[in-house]
Amino acid sequence: MSLPLYYYLAITAVYILMTWALYLPYRVAHLHFMVVANMAISGYFGGYAAINWHWSFLAVFAAGFLIGAVVSFVVSIAIGDAPTFAVVIVGFTFIYITKTVIENWPAMGSTMGMFGIPLVNHILLYAYLFVLVTGFFIYRFDHSRLGRAASAIFIHRELATSFGVNTKYLGMFLQTWAGAIGGATGVLYGFIMNSLFPNFFTFPIIGATMTMLFLGGYTTMWGPLLAAPVLWGAPLLLPTAVASWRQIIYGVLLIVILLLRPEGAITRPFIVKVQTTIFQWMRIKKV
Amino acid sequence: MKRVTVIAMALLLAIGTFTFANGKKEEPAKKAEPAKSSFKMTEWEIPFLNCLTGPIASIGEYLEWGAERAALEINQAGGINGIPVKVTGIDTAMSPETGTVEMAKLTKSALVVMGPVPEPVILAAVPIAVRAGLYSFTATTSYEYAAKFFPWAISWFSPTEEKLPPVVTAWAKKNPGMKNVVQFVENYGAWPGMAKAHVIGLKKAGVNVLKQVDVPTDAVTFGPLVVKALSENPDGIVFACNAEKVAKLILELQSRGWKDNGRLLVFSSADDGALYTTGGKNIDGVMIYNYVDPNLNTPRWQAFRKAFKADHNGMEPFSLSPNYYDAVYMIKRAIEETGITGDPSKLKEERIKIRDYCNNIKDFKGLMFNWTNKNGVPQDKPLFLFKIENGKKVLVEKVIPSNK
Repeated sequence: MSLPLYYYLAITAVYILMTWALYLPYRVAHLHFMVVANMAISGYFGGYAAINWHWSFLAVFAAGFLIGAVVSFVVSIAIGDAPTFAVVIVGFTFIYITKTVIENWPAMGSTMGMFGIPLVNHILLYAYLFVLVTGFFIYRFDHSRLGRAASAIFIHRELATSFGVNTKYLGMFLQTWAGAIGGATGVLYGFIMNSLFPNFFTFPIIGATMTMLFLGGYTTMWGPLLAAPVLWGAPLLLPTAVASWRQIIYGVLLIVILLLRPEGAITRPFIVKVQTTIFQWMRIKKV
Repeated sequence: MKRVTVIAMALLLAIGTFTFANGKKEEPAKKAEPAKSSFKMTEWEIPFLNCLTGPIASIGEYLEWGAERAALEINQAGGINGIPVKVTGIDTAMSPETGTVEMAKLTKSALVVMGPVPEPVILAAVPIAVRAGLYSFTATTSYEYAAKFFPWAISWFSPTEEKLPPVVTAWAKKNPGMKNVVQFVENYGAWPGMAKAHVIGLKKAGVNVLKQVDVPTDAVTFGPLVVKALSENPDGIVFACNAEKVAKLILELQSRGWKDNGRLLVFSSADDGALYTTGGKNIDGVMIYNYVDPNLNTPRWQAFRKAFKADHNGMEPFSLSPNYYDAVYMIKRAIEETGITGDPSKLKEERIKIRDYCNNIKDFKGLMFNWTNKNGVPQDKPLFLFKIENGKKVLVEKVIPSNK
């Protein structure tokens, strides 16, 4: 495989995972930007452990996943059923606290960034295995009783409560899960890039993943899977003169999609339509 | 129906995993095709991983301008070994992710790469170049970043703790009555490291360094920061934050009674348009250090300056403007002196040739001064201490750090 394709696919996996990490809490209307802080915390922990303690990638990856889950769980005790705006504020606060700590902590490389995170063989394989496993569990969740409860909360929190849905526990569960994905993705990111820089874990990643979530479609897990490779890859394929307009292109795309398809490119009816078409096609073949 | 979806998802992701990944590790650049006798070089292409859009697009523009200016001059003078040269700007938009993919593209065939710019992209992309044996001209970053990738990256500057203290000492000595100095420091990239180097220079001059004042990156009001600094009773101030913030801090200081602008020292990274446009007449008399002297009176510099001003609405060249201009000339000299052919079959050995030559180049004739490198580090590049007068820099002292 060519090196550019290798990096394109590796970073695509990072974007898919981070967009899913945003997607999950958004199922209960929580814009949980804290996953970016989880990404930074676990990423830096992973980098430090690999460089200084010579931990294997898999050990670091597992630790990153757990750290992300634990940090998010602790915070979710307070914001598990908080209003969307409060969750956003907590997320931003954690991002800035994390960034400030990293920037002032020499062991983490301070403002210079962290260099020399070792190269790992087969990291692309690990990344896509994690995408596969995460995607499987998100799919199972979306089609479970819990998923339907999350949809009810998204539409009307009080109504969902009246049906017996424990909005706080479900919010905590999704935030913890998203934090774990964010943490593991932070480790993946560090090992793919072989370096970490504090400024990455702020607006650039939020802006990119938010666009992917809302353009791709925030009502199903398939939206990010479509939007991540397209939105991140398009500027790489376009000629430099056109790619320079990427921000404008993104903006126009976002406006067009929000006007024409407010739920994003891939919606639940669209998925049902595709499934039905495939199903019918398979039946015809069988006959 | 559910089963169909699960199968579809599994297939989609499995394709992504196994077809593309295939358990392979990252590979170095493939070996070039065997030499063909018919090979004939038609153009030297120098890729430049730059930021042409995004938050530092204005800096990227004048870096690009400098590189293209050099290419234009070289082509007008007959090219490199009679072959024209072309600088190809590649925009990373300051994204490390884009930088990695663009650098990965270059590992296959580029002889050398200019950039990347700036540090986040350097951190992400240069390791790929190092593994592929591709030499990077990291000509705008500090030694501390470039040194991580030696010998596959070049440093345009000597170590910060060696290069900066002498010029700060020189400034302190210009103000013999100055005893207590405070620093405003913005926590970004190499700036805290530069602030530490300032402290070394101040202590060497026998000046007491007070507790620094941290300037938040997103600061919008500067009054509280200035009050905090003044509460330490300093009689001199050093600024290590971005240009606009420096100007606003100076305005705040003056509004609170600061009189002696000669006791204000601005670091090189703030020598940018925003300092002069925001500061206006209020920064007259302020001292500033940098790596280039815009008043240098050589025909080559004056021609560069004139062309720059013509293309930039009369603005003076910024401090980093000559860096990639010089980089193109350094590449030219390396190609000519080492007999590099550009033949793809010799790519690996010619990359090493260019690396070894530039890392230890002797008496390179730069736009502003000549210098010599040792193991990728310049040995005798000067720094200049200026006083700002009417929006212009007037040379006060030329300082050569002794890191030979």
